[in-house]
Amino acid sequence: MVKVVKSPKDGLIRSAAGHLRAITEVAKVVVSPGTITVHYPRERRKYPENFRGMIMFDMDECISCFRCAHICPANAIQMYPDAEGRYFPGIDYAKCIFCHFCVDSCPTAALKQSKIHDVAYRDVDSMNVSPEQMNTIPEIVREDSVTVEYDFEKDIQLVRKKEFENLLVEVEKPERPEFKAVPQYGENCIGCRLCMFSCPVNAIKSKLEETKVILETDYERCTGCGICVRICPTEVLILTPIEREGDHQ
Amino acid sequence: MKEYSLDISVTPPKEYESYFVPVPKEFLEDAYRSDDFVVFTGPQHGGSGHMRLIIRVKGDFIVEVIPDPGYVHRSMEKLAENRLYIQNIPLFERPSIIDFGNYNLGYVRAIEDALDIEVPERARYIRTILAELGRIGTHLYDAGILAVFLGHTTGFMWPFALREYIVEIFTRITGTRITGSFVVPGGVRRDVDEKTLDMIKRMLNALEFRIKKFERVFIRNPTTIARLKGVGTLTKEEAVDYGVVGPFLRACGVEYDVRVVEPYEAYDEIDWDVVIGEDGDGYTRFLVRVEEVGQSINMIRQLVDNLPEGDVLSDSIISFNRKDIRGSFFEAYADIVLPEGEYTTLTEAARGTLLYSVISDGESTVPYRVRIVTPGWMYLKGFMEACKGHRLADLQAIYGSFGYFPPEADR
Amino acid sequence: MAEASLIFILLERILSIFTDELINIPLINPAVEMLLKIPFLNVIVAFILWKPIFHVLILPGLIGMTLVLLFIIYFERKITARVQWRVGPKEVSRRTGGVIQALADGMRYLFQEVIVHRDANAFYFLQFPLISFLPVLLPLLFIPAGGTYGIRTIYTIPAALALISLIPVFIVAMGWASNSKFAYIGSVREAFMYFAYEIPFLLAVVAMIVLYQTSDPFEIVAKQWIPGAVMNPVAFLVFFITVLIATSRLPFDIPEADQEVAFGPYVEYSGIIFGLVMMLPYEKLYLLSMISVILFFGGWNGPEIAILGDLAPVIYLYIKTIVFMCVVSLARSIYARYRLDQSLRLGWGVVFSMSMIALIISVGWMAWLRL
Repeated sequence: MVKVVKSPKDGLIRSAAGHLRAITEVAKVVVSPGTITVHYPRERRKYPENFRGMIMFDMDECISCFRCAHICPANAIQMYPDAEGRYFPGIDYAKCIFCHFCVDSCPTAALKQSKIHDVAYRDVDSMNVSPEQMNTIPEIVREDSVTVEYDFEKDIQLVRKKEFENLLVEVEKPERPEFKAVPQYGENCIGCRLCMFSCPVNAIKSKLEETKVILETDYERCTGCGICVRICPTEVLILTPIEREGDHQ
Repeated sequence: MKEYSLDISVTPPKEYESYFVPVPKEFLEDAYRSDDFVVFTGPQHGGSGHMRLIIRVKGDFIVEVIPDPGYVHRSMEKLAENRLYIQNIPLFERPSIIDFGNYNLGYVRAIEDALDIEVPERARYIRTILAELGRIGTHLYDAGILAVFLGHTTGFMWPFALREYIVEIFTRITGTRITGSFVVPGGVRRDVDEKTLDMIKRMLNALEFRIKKFERVFIRNPTTIARLKGVGTLTKEEAVDYGVVGPFLRACGVEYDVRVVEPYEAYDEIDWDVVIGEDGDGYTRFLVRVEEVGQSINMIRQLVDNLPEGDVLSDSIISFNRKDIRGSFFEAYADIVLPEGEYTTLTEAARGTLLYSVISDGESTVPYRVRIVTPGWMYLKGFMEACKGHRLADLQAIYGSFGYFPPEADR
Repeated sequence: MAEASLIFILLERILSIFTDELINIPLINPAVEMLLKIPFLNVIVAFILWKPIFHVLILPGLIGMTLVLLFIIYFERKITARVQWRVGPKEVSRRTGGVIQALADGMRYLFQEVIVHRDANAFYFLQFPLISFLPVLLPLLFIPAGGTYGIRTIYTIPAALALISLIPVFIVAMGWASNSKFAYIGSVREAFMYFAYEIPFLLAVVAMIVLYQTSDPFEIVAKQWIPGAVMNPVAFLVFFITVLIATSRLPFDIPEADQEVAFGPYVEYSGIIFGLVMMLPYEKLYLLSMISVILFFGGWNGPEIAILGDLAPVIYLYIKTIVFMCVVSLARSIYARYRLDQSLRLGWGVVFSMSMIALIISVGWMAWLRL
């Protein structure tokens, strides 16, 4: 259907009425204002649980799968090695666009969101945050004692509560089955052993039987990160989900 | 009025040789010889956005306006050639930051068209809700900018406060205030729960309550009407000739809306009107957008009431949880390869027709070429032609009534 | 010895001139009498409390005007913020709600560099903002305030208006001295606006003078048994609209349109000169508000306060002026800006005919009162 808008016609009475309406409307607001200001930093605006703030990292859950570094649209994630040779992500907040693709890609919920959004750094170099620093809340000075939340009930309401908000968020692990790397197409293997060298937990072993190299995965150690699958030039390994009863191929 | 010509040789000031002046020197000399004034309303000016306008003024009347766009050109089309298909989604929603629903939709629909992915019902409704909320947000933002250009400070602050309502709803749905990157091939990233849907309905009531006040203070204000009425008129033929799109074309009397011509998502399942105007002047362009806000509120109410149950992610996508992409994002999207060919979509963004064209070579995970044409770029010529013959002060009014947004036009 | 006694005799003569017309404030009279006994200090004290000097220097003169300027800027920002659903400035001295914001701004201007660009006519560029204080402070000599006055004549109102109408000349001159494209456009617009408002403004004032049949402010104030705004509301409306045009307030701030000409004649000023130049419309508003209070709101009428004595009428005039200025500053949040030709058309069309109607109403009142 089509709706046609028409401009009002000219006229002295019409414009005088328009003036009066504007003046009375402003006079009404002067008497009873509808202020929607949040007096930051003495009050803090309360955001929902899925707010995309700074990204928190739990080192115990990480399986060094490099998925977050691959998917980041801004190339903001750098992987830092630790003493044992495992790699953990650190985020460069000068480049991060807070799209949380990395949080969505992480298979074990090692990267999670938080509600922190107002951190200031002294110089650009310190914005390169290392994995240890991502474990805890950064040092922020909090002067707030009241949280404000917007709610709507015929007109906007600012719900003020005297509380000190906890900026960390509890998340559950995503629903996905466990994966293990299985050398499915062993006949394609060319023996380059890139999979062995790239495995962060040393779960792949190779045996030389006459002229053929046979790969074997230690299923207890394999975390299903998929680096060997991605690095193999001839697509020997695939990630297979294990059944819940523990029956795996 | 008789004009006398004096035989004095006039040359443009020497500074114009040291500035970077993007017009040919003959233009300047011609202007100075014929007693016109060339004014540079540059990127750093209270009333020009981030774009340079070179105005040739005779007395107080504009003879012609030459735009110099490209101040905020970020070469998005070239950047897209080096990023995975999924990594281009945050890139292409940056031109118009509140209207991310429409900008995401155009690109993602091209990918779905190539890979033949069917989107579940609930996801289509949620995407339409995001698109319409973005439309309301953009129209409020444009009303604010129009008010700033006219000098009405209250008319600037109130729409920006109302935009805060829309942004709050975006936070509840997507997690971030603007540029949500929420639409992915096959559906949306998360599901929307009952509490948020209820809040959307209450927010729409609160929005209408305050828009009524805004109408009395700004929209029906006699000074606004005096500034915008009869200013920058484009006839129907002129608008079609110059390639004007969107609500600015509809204000000249042409009934063209992509949501009616080639419906997508859930637009043919709800009941709504196309808004057109008849005069084609600045005030009609503004009124068309105000009425579209009312139509969008109506549409969102119908969508929220009739939201079907179901999954939000299609079965063609590898995902372990059909209601939440978290945990399976990488497996689903990191390696998609489009078959060879060119895939084009048209979307009705808030300011007009948005065209995406994705060309793939069949074997790489990055696109061969992505072409995006934004509505701002398409109606720039109409905007420049509408300024001819008006006074210098009308340039700001016409700029505001067209809602020209340089980051969108320059990409 | 003879020189010392000569000086003392001279001082005695000067002191007697001053003490003839000291302002009488019973509240501080005991302290004043004590100070008058000290030999050299008494001349200074008597000088300050001498009626003309008190009027021009302290209240409602220079110090009064400074206090009003500091207050009205803060108040305008606060009231505009209240209308726009936000809170105005409040951080500078948080406990008092940010009252000294204007003082903080002024101090910041003092620390900025005053840049005189190459193309400007440096002498006039720097001098005009300072010379423009002349037509701002001179009318204060004429406008009386109840007990105190500078020069008493029956031609006060025409003289004050003549001096006030010099201010646009200085604004145009400042734009000319800046030698910049946008300043030039702004000056031309200021000259056009001057044409738009001058005739209806004078006609409204003439209507009120015809109503009171005198232009002596003392008699005008004495004749207002009901306020002048009620006697001739059309003249008040015309006066209000022309005050908006004269002081470049929205909806008529065309010379200083920020979006079109990037601040018009004042565009090249920076530093403390910019601070002075920004004060010019507000000072003009102060003077016009005083005149409007005398003509329309009963001037310094008000109940007697015993302890303040001669100071009471001055304070009544001052407070009424501040209230009028606050109401005028509300117009900023209601309206957009008119275009130049539209405001000229308004000035010579609607507002001019309204001022003629005001004149007719005054003549009607006069005929009715004579009958």
